[in-house]
Amino acid sequence: MKDRLRDALQSSRADYTEIRVERTWSSAVAFRGRRLEAATASEDVGGFVRALDKGCGWGVASFTSLDRLPAMVARATELSRAVRLDEPIRLAEVAPREADAVLDLDGDVRGVPLAEKKRLLEAYNGAMLAVGDRVVDTQASYHDEVSEVWYANSEGALIYQLRPEVVLSGTAIARRDGVIEKGLESIGYRKGWNAAQGREARFRTVAERAVALLDAPRVRGGTYPVVLDPELGGVFIHEAFGHLSEADFVYENPQAREMMTLGRRFGKPVLNVGDNGAAPGLRGTLPFDDEGTPTQDTALIKDGILVGRLHSRETAARLGERPTGNARALSFRHAPIVRMTNTYIAGGTGGSTFADLIRDIKLGVYACGAFGGQTLLENFSFTAAYGYMIRDGQVAELVKDVVLAGNLFQTLDRIERVAGDFQWNQMGGGCGKGGQFPLPVTEGAPHVRIEEALVGGDVPA
Amino acid sequence: MIADLLAAVRRRAQAGDALWRREERTTLAFEAGRFKSAGTTEETGINLRVVKDGQVGVAGTTATDAAPDDLLARALASAALGESLDLTVPPASPLPHVPTYFEGAANASLNALIEVGQSLVARLSRDGCQVNVAIEREVSETEIANTAGAAGKYRATGVAVGVDVTRIAGDDVLMVYDQYVGADLPGAAELDALVDSVTTRLDLALTVALPPEGALPVIFTPVGLSAILLPLEQGLSGKAVLQGVSPLGEKLGTRVFDERFALTDDPLAAGRIGSRPCDDEGVPSRRLPLVEHGVVRGFVYDLETAARAKTTSTGHGRRGIFGKPRIAYSNLVVGADRKPSTETRVPGGGLAAELQNGLIVEDLIGVGQGNVMAGGFSHPVALAYRVERGEITGRVKDAAVAGNVYELLKKIGGFGSDGRWLGTRFAPSLLLEGVSVARR
Repeated sequence: MKDRLRDALQSSRADYTEIRVERTWSSAVAFRGRRLEAATASEDVGGFVRALDKGCGWGVASFTSLDRLPAMVARATELSRAVRLDEPIRLAEVAPREADAVLDLDGDVRGVPLAEKKRLLEAYNGAMLAVGDRVVDTQASYHDEVSEVWYANSEGALIYQLRPEVVLSGTAIARRDGVIEKGLESIGYRKGWNAAQGREARFRTVAERAVALLDAPRVRGGTYPVVLDPELGGVFIHEAFGHLSEADFVYENPQAREMMTLGRRFGKPVLNVGDNGAAPGLRGTLPFDDEGTPTQDTALIKDGILVGRLHSRETAARLGERPTGNARALSFRHAPIVRMTNTYIAGGTGGSTFADLIRDIKLGVYACGAFGGQTLLENFSFTAAYGYMIRDGQVAELVKDVVLAGNLFQTLDRIERVAGDFQWNQMGGGCGKGGQFPLPVTEGAPHVRIEEALVGGDVPA
Repeated sequence: MIADLLAAVRRRAQAGDALWRREERTTLAFEAGRFKSAGTTEETGINLRVVKDGQVGVAGTTATDAAPDDLLARALASAALGESLDLTVPPASPLPHVPTYFEGAANASLNALIEVGQSLVARLSRDGCQVNVAIEREVSETEIANTAGAAGKYRATGVAVGVDVTRIAGDDVLMVYDQYVGADLPGAAELDALVDSVTTRLDLALTVALPPEGALPVIFTPVGLSAILLPLEQGLSGKAVLQGVSPLGEKLGTRVFDERFALTDDPLAAGRIGSRPCDDEGVPSRRLPLVEHGVVRGFVYDLETAARAKTTSTGHGRRGIFGKPRIAYSNLVVGADRKPSTETRVPGGGLAAELQNGLIVEDLIGVGQGNVMAGGFSHPVALAYRVERGEITGRVKDAAVAGNVYELLKKIGGFGSDGRWLGTRFAPSLLLEGVSVARR
């Protein structure tokens, strides 16, 4: 394969050319209720070429038939030449590497028979169904893959990566008459078969929670002090702040650049935020990004001050900063764009516990887990899987429909306390941007207290 | 291609069907007013399903030049694990004629597409705003066949032109987006409508108004309706009905909505990207009333779900290259008739004139999160306007709307005269009463 890539690059008449070739073996098992939905094994093969000629824009081509590689190199060059630019696209320098980066497969999923994967998931699905008659429907899924990724560019980079992934997810639907509630759990690792074992308890908890939510009241809409659990804290920092720190948001927009000026205060000194693509074993972890740049731990907010952002080679050159290894593509079907990897709020160093965080809250909300989140630049919304009221410094009754809405700047500035109990959320799912979904990412946080946040729900009469 | 594969299926299994699809896509991106990249995508794949010893298996591949044996072996392995299902593939039957392939779209040159983008950028440019335009043209060929003799083969084109304008002033970020989607290239009228829509919405949004609060009349525009229609789309799926999780499951023939409310799935709409002569399982396309006069009339099924529910497929099987077919709508039409719009410029299609105090919702944040099926929703607004004494007085920020779709749709305050296509959905604005509006 490496020779094929070298030959194709040599045939290119563009100034800069890069090629990615991927071969992915995957298998998937899904249950719905007591029934097996499907157990399948797939093979996906394809390539991607991106060319940049002098004074021109990007020409890109993706294809499933690898025989077309030389033709697609020519086509990408032709497309690049169709895009005339007054101001040329520049790429920040990255030392070209020749490397083989083989991640630990942790029990190669390709060696495990499909029947065994079915048995594993059947047991997890059974753990949800066993919770009782109120659980009227379940969805359980198992997905694994091993990808071989070759990357080469005309500057001399030639990188081979072997990336494993395994994701489990469970949804339990509980119903009583007209009331329907949902519990959701997902677990994902950049690991293999071994990481998928021993997860019955997590699936059982999901179903128990869905049943418990049948009796829970909706949270009363309004503003409260809100404590986020580490899972929701992670989703929050990814959604509310992470996307704004992606440099493609600011690099062509002077007003956005002003809004995201390095050195601007974004929060109180307790707030430290970063993105670490080099952290071992997490879903967003990669030795090299999809432009051949090594990944790293990038500080974004330090002691409340904006100190960095996430870059591709193009955005880094444009802003005169250094590439951070955040150019990622979902697959060979897509061009790399600036994406997060493993994004986190760092744990507090003052030794605070969760109990310390809620002790002086008279009436508040403890928001837990995440059904999802979305940002529209400075506005965000995220939906907690469930929550509890906090009354007189204690966790009180379970509540549902906890939707947090807010403005990024106000909300970050209202984070006044951060506990010391940091953890990575090993979740499935993924991040969506520019039509590329779901890209594996991880988020992490400790318990975080926001002094005041808008919680959607019933409007107070 | 799939004839050979099905011949092999006949030798080694009882039944099967296959879909072969080739897609060629051209994409152009204009970023911050600059033409930035041009791309092409070629993708070919096969999805195969087999029934062996009463068990169903599927397999897919993009390695279409490889021998069919490997794909068949994987499908048979999948069937060996599969749960039993009495799946019958449909026999040959005549397919309706529906135009899906437009020469103009298929043959448009790269330069012609670039000119569309450049003219939109020029018309939308204004100080302090960033204009992005994305153009995508797809040409596809689809072949579907099964061991019972059903076969379908058609070509299709699709064009999407999306424009977004972002304005950042201090910490205030405003984003206005709209798109043209159709099977043919947009004409001058369609491009004018796109420019008008974005310009009008941007102008109205420059003034910021205080959000109202309480239980209020809210107009959901064709775009804003997504949160309202999503629970219905999920609840009318035969799969949700079969699983016993749809609130509509036992309501067939019952009036659940305002008697003026109607919802139809229409795979035969001319020039729409959801249209096709048959679904991806070879079942002929036909119009399917889902709700008429507020009464639930039907659910959508694919072959598998229909077999399990002891009914027949409505022709709503959709398959990708990987995984098994699933249920999907073709084109969804809201309202009793597809009235051409008379009022597209001002959001709300004329409904705002009757409101003393209310809101127009154009876009919400976080639609699809949470417990959608039950009909409850709670979302911050992405783009919404305040209405006072019949006039739009500005954009509302930092507000959230909440309610239950099944409660709200019992009585519809009015249908706008701004019916339009948005991708695969046709809808006018709807006025709903008593929506909870909260502000910060």
